[in-house]
Amino acid sequence: MSNNRVSRRQFLNYTLTGVGGFMAAGMLMPMVRFAVDPVLAKKGGGDFVLTEQKISELTEKPVKVDFTYEQVDAWYKSDVTDNAWVYKDGDKIIALSPVCKHLGCTVNWGGDKKEPNQFYCPCHSGRYEKNGKNVPKTPPLGPLDEFQVKEKDGYLMIGKVVPNTMVK
Amino acid sequence: MLNKIYDWVDERLDITPIWRDIADHEVPEHVNPAHHFSAFVYCFGGLTFFVTVIQILSGMFLTMYYVPDVVNAWKSVYYLQNEVGAGEIIRGMHHWGASLVIVMMFLHTLRVFFTGSYKKPRELNWIVGVLIFAVILGLGFTGYLLPWDMKALFATKVGIEIAASVPFIGEQIKILLAGDSTILGAQTLTRFFAIHVFFLPAALLGLLAAHFIMIRRQGISGPL
Amino acid sequence: MHKGKGMKFVGDSRVQDKKGQKVYPPDYSEYPGKNEPFWPDFLLKEWMVGAVFLIGYLILTVAHPSPLEGQADPTNTSYIPLPDWYFLFLYQLLKYEFASGPYNIIGAMVIPGIAFGALLLVPFLDRGPERRPLKRPLPVAFMLLALASMIFLTWESVANHDWAAAKRQGEIVKEVKIDEADPGYAVYSKQSCINCHGDKLQGGAGPKLIDTGLSDKEIIKIAHDGVGTMPAGQYKGSDEDLEKLAKFISGLKSE
Repeated sequence: MSNNRVSRRQFLNYTLTGVGGFMAAGMLMPMVRFAVDPVLAKKGGGDFVLTEQKISELTEKPVKVDFTYEQVDAWYKSDVTDNAWVYKDGDKIIALSPVCKHLGCTVNWGGDKKEPNQFYCPCHSGRYEKNGKNVPKTPPLGPLDEFQVKEKDGYLMIGKVVPNTMVK
Repeated sequence: MLNKIYDWVDERLDITPIWRDIADHEVPEHVNPAHHFSAFVYCFGGLTFFVTVIQILSGMFLTMYYVPDVVNAWKSVYYLQNEVGAGEIIRGMHHWGASLVIVMMFLHTLRVFFTGSYKKPRELNWIVGVLIFAVILGLGFTGYLLPWDMKALFATKVGIEIAASVPFIGEQIKILLAGDSTILGAQTLTRFFAIHVFFLPAALLGLLAAHFIMIRRQGISGPL
Repeated sequence: MHKGKGMKFVGDSRVQDKKGQKVYPPDYSEYPGKNEPFWPDFLLKEWMVGAVFLIGYLILTVAHPSPLEGQADPTNTSYIPLPDWYFLFLYQLLKYEFASGPYNIIGAMVIPGIAFGALLLVPFLDRGPERRPLKRPLPVAFMLLALASMIFLTWESVANHDWAAAKRQGEIVKEVKIDEADPGYAVYSKQSCINCHGDKLQGGAGPKLIDTGLSDKEIIKIAHDGVGTMPAGQYKGSDEDLEKLAKFISGLKSE
């Protein structure tokens, strides 16, 4: 008798939890999908942007090249100006991202007077060699990222950021 | 393990009686639709609360994308409805829920009225219930403006003019609501947003708590 | 099962009698054996109703995406506003003579105020001990009267609203680049078209002319014979120009 009653109560408890779980799932599933949308969204972009830098004027010394593109940030569209350190390595054109791999400050070529042939990050004295390789015993943990580059009518075009291809 | 944590907390805070009281309190048969189908009229209150919970949740999620600003409000609503995954469902929940909560509340009010459940000793709970009704209508009115589309703007214009027709202090009420004596714009939107998202929900939660505590104190009214 | 250590709470909402033992509300304590515990018996039934309700609710949201009209434009003076459905009866009330103009205060404040005040004070207006609707005819009659008038007013406002115009005025108009150098546009602005259909063909008194889906021939026919509320004979120019105009309008497509 008493066993019977307990099992009825358990049965009700299970059913109740099931129905409650169903309701919670019905409510929360679309909401969670809604919230995590930016995580699942595929990042577009990767289009090449034309700069005003003539290819013929590039040398082995890195120069800062500004370029502007339209950034779509959900409902907000804006023109964003970015820059890259560009130089020639033989015939190859190298464009390095100026974003320090330590904490995201901006690096400069020869910013440290003691090391004129290195990139220098003023925030925490991070240093990189010309090919972007981070100098050991300075804060950065990896090499500078690289931009994809293209040429059009003698002018430089800059594409999306890829991990550094020169430093192994 | 869980049991040990529970015991540890219970020893200090004596939480068992709280949930046992909620779980074990007896509910009379005459409100249970499984016994008499006509008792489904007693479900309207619970369903009102259910939709309110959905409104609070979906509203919280909507503010992840929504901006209360004249330039971006409409764009962000358009974006969250058309570009964000499940955005149509979440906005739909909030939009249709606003109507459903009013329908359910209306039916609940009629049930309480026609069963005479507001009579002594439940007068105060009826008054709190009518105040909840007013707060929900206020939420509906302020929420209507937020998408900042054509009907939102012009319907709110009319609503504000009605508020302005209050004798003596109408103009002050209008400025208080719209944030400006002539323009219905940036300041109106932020004010309505604040009222819709903070002030009225706070009032609603307080009133709901009072409503439920009173139900527990007084019990559900007996059968007719 | 009792784990309580007999501590006392401040602001405890639990219902207890003077000895600190739980009591059932007096109303239905005379029906012993017909009650059931809130958890899990009662809540299960309540939640089953809730689950069915939720399914219907979700189907509604998926089947009818919530409407979004074009972005608010305070300079649009031809927009006829309409409140959400639950305020329609108030909206309609303000249209009547006895509740508008100099008597606006009656429609906007006095009548709703009395109604709301009466609703709020119902327990003090209806103090008799009877609970059955038939045994308290006055309150029930007043409530039914109020209900009937709300339903009537809502019905009236819905029946009197031009829903087609409402749909048109609120539509999200996709921006289309209008080539104002097009010879068709020159004809468009020289003829009276521009007055009703707008300088960007976005519509106004008449519908928008973007994405009409009409062929050149159909447009020429409408220009001559009119359509809907547009009277015949609006176009007064050469057939050659009209063809340019028709080609211009039929070519306007968003995206």
